[in-house]
Amino acid sequence: MKSKNPMKKYLFLRRFIAWALFILLLVSFHRLDIFHKVIQYLPKIQFGQSMAGFFSQGALSASLIFLSLALLTVIFGRFFCGFICPLGAFMDLTIFIGSKIKPAPFSFKPNTFYRLIIPALLLLAFWLGLAFPYNYFEPYSLLVSGHGLLLIIIILALLKGRVFCDVLCPPGLLLKLLSGSGLFGLKFKQNSCLSCGACQRVCPTSCLNSSAKSLDRGRCLLCLECAAVCPNGSMTYGLITRPPAGRRHFLKLASAGALAAGAYLTSPELRVRTFGQAPPAPILPPGALSLAHLNAHCSLCHTCVSACPNGAIQPSHSLVPVLTAKPLIEPYQGFCQYDCLICGQVCPTGALRPLSLEAKRLTRLGLAQLNRPECLVIKNRTSCGACAELCPTGSVRMAPGPSGQDEPTMNTDFCIGCGACQKACPVRPIAAIVVAGLTIQQTAKAPLTLETPDLSLSEDFPF
Amino acid sequence: MYRRSFIKTLVGGAALLGLGQALGRGPGLTAALAQDYPDLVAIKGADITVMFDQALTALGGLGRFVTKGQKVLIKPNMGWAVEPRRAANTSPELLAHLVKRVKELGASKISVFDNTCDNWKSAYSTSGLEEAASKAGALVAPANSEKYFQKITIPGQSKLGQTAYHELYLEADVIINLPVLKHHGGAKMTAALKNLMGAIWDRSDLHWGGLDQCIPELMLYKKPNLNIVEAQRVMLNGGPRGYGDSQYLAANMLLASADPVAVDAASYRLLAESGIREPGYIAQAASLGLGQSDLSLIKVQRLTV
Repeated sequence: MKSKNPMKKYLFLRRFIAWALFILLLVSFHRLDIFHKVIQYLPKIQFGQSMAGFFSQGALSASLIFLSLALLTVIFGRFFCGFICPLGAFMDLTIFIGSKIKPAPFSFKPNTFYRLIIPALLLLAFWLGLAFPYNYFEPYSLLVSGHGLLLIIIILALLKGRVFCDVLCPPGLLLKLLSGSGLFGLKFKQNSCLSCGACQRVCPTSCLNSSAKSLDRGRCLLCLECAAVCPNGSMTYGLITRPPAGRRHFLKLASAGALAAGAYLTSPELRVRTFGQAPPAPILPPGALSLAHLNAHCSLCHTCVSACPNGAIQPSHSLVPVLTAKPLIEPYQGFCQYDCLICGQVCPTGALRPLSLEAKRLTRLGLAQLNRPECLVIKNRTSCGACAELCPTGSVRMAPGPSGQDEPTMNTDFCIGCGACQKACPVRPIAAIVVAGLTIQQTAKAPLTLETPDLSLSEDFPF
Repeated sequence: MYRRSFIKTLVGGAALLGLGQALGRGPGLTAALAQDYPDLVAIKGADITVMFDQALTALGGLGRFVTKGQKVLIKPNMGWAVEPRRAANTSPELLAHLVKRVKELGASKISVFDNTCDNWKSAYSTSGLEEAASKAGALVAPANSEKYFQKITIPGQSKLGQTAYHELYLEADVIINLPVLKHHGGAKMTAALKNLMGAIWDRSDLHWGGLDQCIPELMLYKKPNLNIVEAQRVMLNGGPRGYGDSQYLAANMLLASADPVAVDAASYRLLAESGIREPGYIAQAASLGLGQSDLSLIKVQRLTV
C-alpha cells in the first residue's frame, strides 16, 4: 500500500534536484577552474540574491529572475525553497541524516505574528542600506560565506526542522507572503484522510495540522515529505479551490505591491543618505563604481571572492558597518590582474558592473604611494625594482632619482591602483609602496603609446 | 693478507680518485673533444626558426646537448600576460620549434613552465606559449603554487643560502634556457642568467639580498646545459613587462651558448648602445666561475644569413 504512493517519486525527484544543486555549489567552489561557468549562474537563480539585485536596481537579469521567481511562487507555491535553495538542501540533508538516527520529532505549530519579526527587521535594514545583516541570513550568502551561523542552523535543523526558513530567512518572508494564497499547493483529501498525524511528524516547517486537515501554505516549502509519508495518499498537490477572494484579500495584495514598488524606488538613494561615505579608503573591486554603489548593490554573496583568479578580492574584516564582509581588494593577497574581467562577470546583483577590457584597464581603484625611506633601493642601495616590474601602466618606473641611482619614480596620472606594486614589493609587514583606495572610482589617463619605428644597431655585431 | 688488501684498497682508491678527477673535469673534457665548435654563436638576418637551426648546426648540433630518452626542461620567459608582439615573453614560434627539434631527438619528456609575474593562466595563454608548446608536444606545467617547488641548499658561500626550485627543474636531465632579451628596470637586463628567477618560488629573497649578487647564485646548484637568447625585437625600456611607450630595437638576432655568462655578456652589448647600464650580475657570475664574461677569451662565431 505504502509503496504505491505516487508522491514518493516526486519526493525523490525533489531531493535529487535540490541536493544535486547543493553538491554542484560545493564542488564548484572547490574547483573554480573547471566550474567557473557554473558559478556564474548559481547565485543568479537564487531568490534572495536576485531580490537584492532588484531592490538595489542592479543588473536587469537579476530583476527579471526576481520577478519571474515571484510570479512562479504566486502560482505554484514556495517551490524555490524546496527545489533550489542550497541552504534548504543543506538543512534537508541534515534532517535526513538525523531522521536515520532518530525519527523526525516535528509537530504542528500555529502561525503567529512573531514569526515574521526577525526577517521583517532584516528586510527593513536592507532597505535602509544596512546590507550585511540581511546577508548574514540570506541563505545563499550564508552558505557560501560559511560563518558560525551554519552550526546553529545544523542544531536548529535537527531539533526544529527548517524553522530557519520561517523565522529567520529574509527572502523567505517575501516568499511566504507571495505563496500564502497562491493558486496551486498541497492539500488534504478531506474524505480519505484519517488524521493519523504521520504527515505532521515529518513536516520540517510545522505547517501541517493533521487533526484539522489543514495546511498553512505560506510556510509550506513543497518539500513533499508529508505527501510521501501519508499511508493512504491523502496528501495531494493541485489547484486550490476556495471561495472567491474577498475584497480584504485584494486590498492586502495591493498594499503589499505598493510597498514593494515604494521600496524599489526609494532604496538606493535612501541608503546613501542614511549611511553615506565610509571614513577609510578601501580598494573596491573594478566596476564597483563607488562605495555607495557597492553598498547599495552588494549582497555579500562572495562569488567575486571565490572567482578572483589572483585571490585579490577578500571579504573585509572591517568593523565599519558599510565595509563589514564587503568584497575588497587586498593587494598583499593578490593584485587586480590588468586584463581580467571575471568579478564583474560573475556578480549576480550588479554591484560590480561588467566592464569592457578598455574600461577596466582605465578604472582607477586607488593610487599607489611610495614610502621612499623604506624602499630597499634607497635604504640598502641594492637593485630591486620589483614594483616597476609588475606595473602594467608604467606609473612606476625605475629612473635616476635623488638617491643617485635608479629608483622607483612615480607618475600617478596613469596609476589604476591595481596593487601589483604593493604585492611585489619585498618589504614587509608594510610594503614600501602601498595603494590607498578610492571611495569613488576614477578614470586614469590612458598609458602612453609610442609609434616611433624600432631602432636598429649601428654595427652588425656589437661584440 | 693485510698487505694485499691494503694494496688493493690503495689501487682502488687511486682509480676512484682518477675517475673523480676525470668526471670533475667533465666540462673541460667535453670542451676538449668539441674544440672545433665555437663557444658562442650569434646569428642574424633570417626567420627565427632558420636562425635557430643554423646556430645549432654551428654549435655542433642539438644532439650534443640532448640524447634519446632524456628528460628535457625548456625554460622560456612566459611571465607576462601580454601578446607576443610586445616581446616581453619568448617567441611562441621559437619555443614550438625547439620543442619539435628536441622531440625529434627522442627525449622521453619535454616540459615547459614559468613562475609567472602576472596571473599564470593569463600569462600562459596571452603569451601564446602554452598553446605553441603543447601543440608541439611539450608538457606545459603550472608553477603557481609552492607545492611544485623543493627547497635546495645552494652550494658554497651564497647570500641566498636556500631557495626552492621547481620539481621539473630538479628532475630534468637537460635544461635548455630560452629567454627573450629585454630591458629590466631592476636588474637592467633579462637574458640567460636572469631567466632562472622564473624557475624558483620566492623571488622576494633575491630582491632583499640584491639582484646582482643573488641572480648568479641560482645557477650554482644546477646550470642550464644550453642557453638560447632570442633577440629579434629587443625591448629597450619599460622592461620587463613593457609599457605602451616602450622603445624597441630591431636586432633580429639569436645567440646560443652553453656558457650563460658569455651569452649574457654578448646580449648586453645589444642594449649598451641605448645607454642601459651593465647589469652587475654578469661580472658577479664570472667571479663565481659560472662562465666567461670576457668575449675576447672565447671563440665567438658570428653568422649573417
